[in-house]
Amino acid sequence: MYNASSSKPSPRVSSISRRFSYALIGVVTLLLITFAAVGILFEITTIQSELETRLDNAMKLAQISLPTPLWNMDNDVVKDFVEALFLDESIVYTKISWGDQVITKKKRPGVQLQQLESAMSPTLLNDSEFIFKSSDIHFEESKVGKILIVMSRESVRKQVFLLIYGIIALTVLIIAAIWLTSIVITKRYISHPLLKLQESASLIAHGDLDTFVDKSSSDEIGILAQHLDGMRGSIKQLFEELRESKEKLEEHSRTLEQKVKVRTRELARSVEELKALGEVSQAVSSTLDLQTVLATIVAHAVELSGTESGAIYEFDETVEQFQLRATHRMSEELTRAIREAGVKLGETAVGRAGVSREAVQVPDILEEPTYPLREIIVRDGFRALLAVPLVREDKLIGGLVVRRRAPGQFQKKTVELLQTFATQSALAIQNARLFREIEEKGRELEIASKHKSEFLANMSHELRTPLNAILGYTELILDKIYGEVPERIQEVLERLEKNGRHLLGLINNVLDLSKIEAGQLTLSLSEYSMNEVVQAVLTSVEALAAEKKLELKVMVPTDLATGKGDEQRIVQVLLNFLGNAIKFTEEGEVTVEVTASNETFLVSVSDTGPGLSEADQNKIFEDFQQADSSSTRGKDGTGLGLSIAKRIIEMHGGHIWVESTLGKGSTFWFKLPIRVERQRG
Amino acid sequence: MMNKTILVIEDHEDNRRIMRDLLTSSGYEVIEAVTGEEGVTAAGTHHPDLILMDVQLPGIDGYEATRLIKANPNLQSIPIIVVTSYALSGDDVKAFEAGCDAYVTKPYSPRELLARIRKFLP
Repeated sequence: MYNASSSKPSPRVSSISRRFSYALIGVVTLLLITFAAVGILFEITTIQSELETRLDNAMKLAQISLPTPLWNMDNDVVKDFVEALFLDESIVYTKISWGDQVITKKKRPGVQLQQLESAMSPTLLNDSEFIFKSSDIHFEESKVGKILIVMSRESVRKQVFLLIYGIIALTVLIIAAIWLTSIVITKRYISHPLLKLQESASLIAHGDLDTFVDKSSSDEIGILAQHLDGMRGSIKQLFEELRESKEKLEEHSRTLEQKVKVRTRELARSVEELKALGEVSQAVSSTLDLQTVLATIVAHAVELSGTESGAIYEFDETVEQFQLRATHRMSEELTRAIREAGVKLGETAVGRAGVSREAVQVPDILEEPTYPLREIIVRDGFRALLAVPLVREDKLIGGLVVRRRAPGQFQKKTVELLQTFATQSALAIQNARLFREIEEKGRELEIASKHKSEFLANMSHELRTPLNAILGYTELILDKIYGEVPERIQEVLERLEKNGRHLLGLINNVLDLSKIEAGQLTLSLSEYSMNEVVQAVLTSVEALAAEKKLELKVMVPTDLATGKGDEQRIVQVLLNFLGNAIKFTEEGEVTVEVTASNETFLVSVSDTGPGLSEADQNKIFEDFQQADSSSTRGKDGTGLGLSIAKRIIEMHGGHIWVESTLGKGSTFWFKLPIRVERQRG
Repeated sequence: MMNKTILVIEDHEDNRRIMRDLLTSSGYEVIEAVTGEEGVTAAGTHHPDLILMDVQLPGIDGYEATRLIKANPNLQSIPIIVVTSYALSGDDVKAFEAGCDAYVTKPYSPRELLARIRKFLP
């Protein structure tokens, strides 16, 4: 819950007062030493000058006291004077002389003479251990002697040392006092309150937010304590809020969890239902075997509705009875009994559902003594029944029933689910029926188509046989088998033959088209030479072109690759192109051109005829269409040739088209794969 | 030189006559039969040099008659030209499967038919 970052007070914390004392002591010591040094220096100077004054005074005393005794040569007085001088402890040597004669001298014991001598050497004057002064003594204007006084600085030094020791002792005392005071002060006013603050902080860190922080102090620490206490308050509030929101969150998550659980259960169920429906739909759409589809549906319906057994019936309109089509976990006895008895409209749950077109429930079969086959159903252990009708486009198609061992009402959900399955079942049954119908229609169509083909073959035969006789006789007469023919009759016979051949062309075209439509036109693929195809076509139209005085141009390379296709049919197409071109062109020329590239033959027939309007160009390849222009009137032609040509070329995997400008002629094209290995379409 | 004999098996009277007129005028001897059975019998008795066989015949059809004649070792060398007015795909295949030597569709040009016959009977 709450995690304090540090729980133990750091040992360094206590050193705050010590560090403070050290700093204080350092500063005080430095100050004291400075003051002491200055004091000592001052004192030394003072003592020094005092010593010098004392020496001067002694000298003055000598100037006053000695002239008379010296004049009187009263040596005792002089000696007494010297003794008196020695009362001053600093005076260590006194000599009174007159010229070279020493009148008296006195040396303080303990002072070495050698030391004294060296001290009196001019170089060490005043600056060493000793100071001295000598002066002549006069009586009335005449010199009566000379006095030398040597003073030792020893006493001064002693005084100075004493002073220094004193100062040091005082400093030490002061420092100790300051140290103690500072420790006491820092302890009392800083460390202690800080420690207390730290304790409070530690408490807060440990989660104790109820103990108030002592903020009695009015200094900065007191302010800090106030802030800390404020912080504690804020944290406490925050914690409180946090706890509240956490509780809310937990409550929320508990509810959520529950909801999720419920939803998950619902979802799992929905997924299961969807999966089952998916399987059912798949079965409906992929299996045309009705039995399999219905068995799948009833199995899933029983499983998902939480029941133990079920069945699907198909309604037979003719006898107004339901026929059992698929069962799931039904006893043989019950199945047989239902098959024998049949289910009439209005009887049993299914029959009733068929009438009401709504779901019908039987919560407990024991409460319905007249229910058909009740004994068997009860013996099989079933108590509750639920039936839904199978309806498609307002038509009753059948019924779906599930049986449950536990008596009682079925849930609304179960009813809805069953209705979904019913819809699928209805669809499946309808699909199967439609499929049966289509199959039947297909068979009928096949028979009809066969009849049509046979009829066409017969028609063709029936038409050709008399035509054969007409054309045969005509030719025989023209060939003068029956004797000479008058010229007028010969001309008529030629017209007769021409019309007969036209009629034959018509019959052939109709037959071709019928064959194409019946899918009976098959290409007989073999190797051919495009040059030979062109040659064959030219041979049969040369006469016609010559008759109309049209120039026939041929632009065909001699080294064309060997093609593979239906040679006779390709001849037919090219003949149609050239025949049309010659037929509709009154003057000018007709050009046949063949080129080969990219494994295709590109064949074109151009004329200088009337040309085609755009509308005509669009429909000229349709059945029974000729260009609807005055120029085509009176021309022979079935209007089938080009549509047959189009199909032939397309069966070769090629393409056919026309380019034309009205009044400037037309060019008919076809593109054909050089090697056609397989018939298209 | 004996004239070559051609057996014409054809049920349509006019067409039979056209054949007869064409062939006799060209110097062939013509024997006629109307049905398939008659044709097969005539082939056996007259042993013609060539047979023109119509397909659509009463009784056994032209294919069957062709098969029967070609099955007879004595007759199988006789060339048979099948003449048919049926033009559905596969008819030519049927004719050749039956064993015929040539195949002509109606209406035929008498001149072309004569040219075909002359290939077999030079």
